[in-house]
Amino acid sequence: MAESRGIVGTIVSRLAQSIVVIAIVTTIVFVLIHIAPGDPFASAMDNPNVTEAVRARWRANYGLDQPLFQQYLRYLTNVARGDFGWSFSMHRPVLDVLKDALPNTLLLAGTALVLGFAGGIGVAVFQAMRPGSRRDRALGATSMFFYAMPDFWLALMMMLIFAYWLPVFPVAGSIDPVMHEYMAPLAAFADRIRHLVLPAVTLALLSGAAVARYQRAELLRVLPDDYVRTARAKGLSERRVMLVHVLRNALIPTVSLLGLSLPVLFTGAVFIERVFAWPGMGWVILGGVATRDYPLVTAGVIVAAITVTLGSLLADILYVVVDPRIRGR
Amino acid sequence: MAAEVSEGRPGWTRHIARHAGIAAGVLAVIIVVALLAPVFSPYDPIAQPDIIGLKSVAPSLSHPFGTDSFSRDVLSRCIYGARISLSVAALATTIAITLGTFYGAVAGYVGGAVDAAMMRFVDALLAIPRVLLLIAILALWNGLPLWLLIVVLGVTGWFGLSRMVRAQVLSLREMDFVTAARAVGASGPRILIRHILPNVLPTIIVAATLGIGHVIILEAGLSYLGLGVQPPSASWGSIIQDGADQIGSAWWISLFPGLLIVTTAIACNSLGDAIRSAFDPREGAVTMAEIDS
Amino acid sequence: MNKAAVKGNIDIRGERPRAKAPGRSPRPPLGLLGIVLLAAVSGCGRESGRNPTTGIGGGTLVISTASDADALFPPLIVSTQGREVAEQIFEPLANVGDSLNVFGDAGFIPTLADSWKWAPDSLSIAFHLNPNARWHDGKPVRARDVQFTISLCKNPELAAPIAPLLSDIDSVSVADSLTPVFWFHRRSAQEFYDAANVALIVPEHVYGAIPVAQLAASPVLRHPVGSGRFEFRRWVPNATIEIVSNRNHYRSPARLDRVIWTIAPGDFGAASTRFLAGEADLFAAIRSSMLPQIAKSESLRLIAYPGFKFGYMVFNMRDPANPKQQNPLFKSATIRRALTMAVDRASVVRNVFDSLAIPSIGPTVRAMATSDTTIPQIAYDPQRAMQLLDSLGWHAGANGIRTRSGKQLSFTIMVPSSSMDRQKLAVLLQDQFKRVGVKVGIVSVEPNVFEQQQYAHNFDAAIETWNADPSPGGLRESWGSLAAHTERSKNYGDYSDATFDVELDSALSASSQPVARTLYSRAFRTLIGDAPAIWLFEPRNMIGVQKRFHVAALRADAWWAHLADWYVPADQQTARDRAGVAERVPVTDSTVAARSK
Repeated sequence: MAESRGIVGTIVSRLAQSIVVIAIVTTIVFVLIHIAPGDPFASAMDNPNVTEAVRARWRANYGLDQPLFQQYLRYLTNVARGDFGWSFSMHRPVLDVLKDALPNTLLLAGTALVLGFAGGIGVAVFQAMRPGSRRDRALGATSMFFYAMPDFWLALMMMLIFAYWLPVFPVAGSIDPVMHEYMAPLAAFADRIRHLVLPAVTLALLSGAAVARYQRAELLRVLPDDYVRTARAKGLSERRVMLVHVLRNALIPTVSLLGLSLPVLFTGAVFIERVFAWPGMGWVILGGVATRDYPLVTAGVIVAAITVTLGSLLADILYVVVDPRIRGR
Repeated sequence: MAAEVSEGRPGWTRHIARHAGIAAGVLAVIIVVALLAPVFSPYDPIAQPDIIGLKSVAPSLSHPFGTDSFSRDVLSRCIYGARISLSVAALATTIAITLGTFYGAVAGYVGGAVDAAMMRFVDALLAIPRVLLLIAILALWNGLPLWLLIVVLGVTGWFGLSRMVRAQVLSLREMDFVTAARAVGASGPRILIRHILPNVLPTIIVAATLGIGHVIILEAGLSYLGLGVQPPSASWGSIIQDGADQIGSAWWISLFPGLLIVTTAIACNSLGDAIRSAFDPREGAVTMAEIDS
Repeated sequence: MNKAAVKGNIDIRGERPRAKAPGRSPRPPLGLLGIVLLAAVSGCGRESGRNPTTGIGGGTLVISTASDADALFPPLIVSTQGREVAEQIFEPLANVGDSLNVFGDAGFIPTLADSWKWAPDSLSIAFHLNPNARWHDGKPVRARDVQFTISLCKNPELAAPIAPLLSDIDSVSVADSLTPVFWFHRRSAQEFYDAANVALIVPEHVYGAIPVAQLAASPVLRHPVGSGRFEFRRWVPNATIEIVSNRNHYRSPARLDRVIWTIAPGDFGAASTRFLAGEADLFAAIRSSMLPQIAKSESLRLIAYPGFKFGYMVFNMRDPANPKQQNPLFKSATIRRALTMAVDRASVVRNVFDSLAIPSIGPTVRAMATSDTTIPQIAYDPQRAMQLLDSLGWHAGANGIRTRSGKQLSFTIMVPSSSMDRQKLAVLLQDQFKRVGVKVGIVSVEPNVFEQQQYAHNFDAAIETWNADPSPGGLRESWGSLAAHTERSKNYGDYSDATFDVELDSALSASSQPVARTLYSRAFRTLIGDAPAIWLFEPRNMIGVQKRFHVAALRADAWWAHLADWYVPADQQTARDRAGVAERVPVTDSTVAARSK
C-alpha cells in the first residue's frame, strides 16, 4: 500500500505544488514587468504628431491606464481563455509569436540535450574504465574547460572558427532566408541541419561537459559496490561489467538530471539564440525586452517558468519511477 | 548545469588537494594582479594613444593581447577589468549568501506552515530562469549604476542556497546538542547563530566559491547584451562585447577576456569541489543545478 | 512650420533605425541639381527598356537589414525601413525626379497621374489618373482613392506622421472618376510636391471599411495592396519581407522578379555577415569595419551616393539643472571654442568611419549649393585650447583635471544607445577632452529618452545627426533665436545669437542663388566662429552590392527609388535568382481575384 501511495501520491502532491508555483511566478513576473518605467508606446514618442493625448488613448485601448490589480485580473482572465494579448513589436497576437518560437527552441534544446547526454555519458564511461589514466585526466580537463565557459563566448568562438575562418556553416538564422522556401524536401531538411549544427553543438558541448563530470563521478561511486564485485567475480569482461551493471545503476541520478537540464538548456539557449540569431523563445524575449513589448515578455517568461517547473516535476517523477529506493519515502 | 564530483576514494584526495592548490594559486595570482593593476598593466586602460595608427592592432610584443578599435591596450583593459569582474562577483555572492543563509535558516528553524509558505515562494523564484529574470529587470530599468547591478545580481542569487541551508537546519534542529541548548533555555536566534550555523558553514563556503565563478560568467553574459557593467567601467564581459561586432576582423579583443573568465571559473569550480570533498564527501553536497537557478 | 527637417538618429550605419523620418521622404533640398545628378549617376549601369537577352525577369535581390519595417501601410510608417519597402508597393501621383526639385512641377515623373492642370490662381491642381492604373487586386485606381488617402492622412485620429506635411492642402474633391482635384489653403512654391509626392495613394475599397481607430492594429495592414511595380508577397515579422514583380503593372513591371529583405533585428553583426558571406546581395548600412573584407571580395562592390546628413556635438546653452537659466559652463563662447580646438576631428572621424565620412563643415553639407567650403573652421590646436582654458581661470589640478574655485571642469555627453557610431564618437571625444584636462562622462540612453531629454534641454552636450535642409524652416528652427524658447523646439542646444539671426534672415530671403551663397556664407561664418557645436562628421553614403546587379541611379534621399529598374543579366543569374520564379503562375485578373478573397 505504501508503495502505490508513494508513486501516485508523490506525483499528485508535486503536481499541486507546481500549480501553486506557476501561479506565484505569474504574479511576480506580471507585477515586475508592469511596474517598470516606460510603456510600449515610447518608441512612438519621437514622432511629434503622436501627442500625449493620442498616447493616452492608446494606453486606454490596451487597458494600461487601469490600476495594476485590475490589469492583473484581466490578464489572468484572458490567459485562462488562451489569450496572451497583442505583441506590440511583432504586430501579432503573442500566442502566434510564441507558437512560432517555441518549436525552434525545442528543436535546438532537444538536439543539444540528446547530443550532450549521449556524448557526456560516453565520455564518462570511457573515463571511468581507466580512472586516473592520462586519457581520463585529459578528458576531465577538457570537460572542466567547457563546463567553465560562458555560453555566449563559446558561441562567438564557434562562429569565429566555423563561420569566419572556415566558412562551412551559416552564421545566423534557422533556415536560409531566401532559398529555403523553394527547396525540395530533402534539400530543405539539409538546410535546417546546416543551420542547426553550430548552435546545437555549442549548447551540447556546454551541457555535455556537465553531464560527463557528473556521470563519471557517479560511475566511480558505484564501482566499488558489491554487485559489481560479484559481476567481476563471475568472470564478465570489464567492458560488460561497466556497460551493463555499473552504468545501469549510475544512470539513475543522471536521469533526474535530464529533467533539471531542460530549464538550464532553455537559459543557455538565450545567449546562443542571440549570437546565432536563432528565432526561438530567448531571441523573442530579448527582442520584446528591447522594445518594451510587455505582453510578449510577460508571456515569454511565464512560459519559460512553466517549462522549468514541468522539467523539475518530470525529474522528480523519473527519479521515483527509476529508483525503487525512493518509493514510499 | 548539474554536476557534482565527489570521489569517495582515498587516492583521489591527494589528487584533489593538488588541484585545489593549483586552483587557489591561480586565483591568488589573478586577485593580486587585479589589486595591483597599476603596477602590472603596461598601459593606461582608457588612454587612446593613437586612434588611427594603433586602431585594432593584432597581438604583438608591445601589445600582447592586441589593441581595440580605440587603440586601447587590451591586456591593460583585461587587468583593470578583473577588478570589476571579481568585485562584482564577490559582492553579489556575499549578498546572495547572506540572504540565502538567513532565509533558509529561518524557514528551517521555524518550520511548519511558515516554512511551507516560504519554500513555495522559493520554488516559484527558482522556476523563473535567473538569466531571463535578470534580463527583464536590467533592460526595463535601463542603465542601472554599478552598485545596483551588484544588488540585483545578489538578490536573484540566493534561492538555491536557501533551500540547502533550510534542509540542513531542519535536520540539525533535531540533533542532541541543539535540544540540549534549548533545554538550557537558550533563545532561538542564539541557538541558530551559536550552534546551528557553524555546522552549515561548509555548505556556505562551497556555495560561495562556486557562486563567484558563476556570477563572473553571468555578469559577462549580461554585459555582452549591453545590460551589465556600463561604460566607461569595463568588465571582462564588456571587453568581449567591445569586440563582438568585429569578431571576424579583430578576434583578439573578444578572445583574451573570455579565456580569463574560463580560467577564473575553472579555478573557482576546482576550489569549490576540493573544499566540499575536504569537509564531507556526501552530506554537504552542493550541485551546480541548485546553485545555477 | 518645418516640413522637412529630419533630425534624429539617422546614422549611416545599421543601428536599429528608429529613424524619425516624418513618414515619407524628407523634402529634398532645392538647388542641388548639378551636384546631385553628377554624383547620382556614378556607379550605375543604366540601360533602357527591358532586359533584352531573356524573357524571364531580372533575378532576385536579397537585402540584408538589421531592422524590420514598423508598418507597410504608408500613412502609418515612421521608420526608414518601412518606407524602403512601402515605396515599392505603393505609388504617389507623381514622383519627384532625380533632380529632387520641389519647386513647381519641373522634373516630376508622372506615376499614378499621367497629367495635371494648375488652376490659374494656383490654389488648386487637377490631376488626371492613368486610366490603366490597377490595384494589385485588379480593381482600377480611382479619384476616390486619392480623396480617401488624403483625408485619412489628415485625420487627427490616425495621427499619421506625414499629416503636418499636408497641412497646406485643404481637401481633395472628385471631378470625375479619374480626376482628383487638390485644393490648397494658401499658395506655396512647393504645393505641387505636397500634393503629388508626399502621400502614397492607398485603395479605399481595402482600407476604407475599417474604422480609423482600429486601423493600426488591423491584420489587413499586414497584407498591403498597392499599385506599384512590385506587389506584396509575404511579411514574417523580424525575419523576412518579400515582394515580387507586378507582371500586370500598367506602365512597366519591375525588372527584378523579386526583392527579399532578410532581417536580423538589432543585430548588426549577423546582418553584415549575411551580406559579406553572400547570403544576401545588398547591405545599405556599410560600416568601416567591413571595408577590408569588401575590398578583398571579388563579387562585392561599394556604390557611393550623395546624402545630406551630418553629425555634431551640440552644447546645451541652458542649465540642465535649472532650464530657466543659462548654462554656467557653456554660455561662454571662449570655452566652446577651446573645447572645439581640443578635438582632432579628422582623426576622430577617420577612426569611426574610416573612409566613409569626412569632417563636417558646419550645419550643412558640402553638396549643398549654398555651402561655402572655404569658411575657416576652428582648427585642432590643443595647446591653444589649454591656454584659453587657463585664461578662463580653469587650472589643472592634481589629477590632471582642471578646476576653478574648487569646481571640476567636467560635463557629460549624451548619446542614443541605438547608435554604435555615436557611442564610439563619445568614447573618442572623452579621451580628447581628457588630454586638455576636461573630465567627460558618457550618458548612453534609449533613443526615446534621448529625444525627450533633448526637448527638455536636460543634458550637457549631445551628439546629434541631422539631415541638411535649406528650406526656410530648417536652419531657423535648429539654430535661430525664435525657436530657442518655444515648446518642442528643435534648437536643442537653445543657441541664440542676434547677429546670426539677422544674417540668416537676409540669406533666406535672397532673390538669387549667388546672392544667397554670399549671405549664407556670412551667416555660417558667424555661427561657426561662435561654436554652438563641434561639427563632427559628414558621411559618404554607401551601399554594398553584389557585382552581378545592374544598379539604377541611387537617389540622394532614397537609394531604393529606382529599385524596380535594377536587374541581373541573364548570363550572370544564379540559382537564387531563379529559384521558384519559373513556377510562379503569372498573375492574371482571375488569380488576383481568387487571392484577394
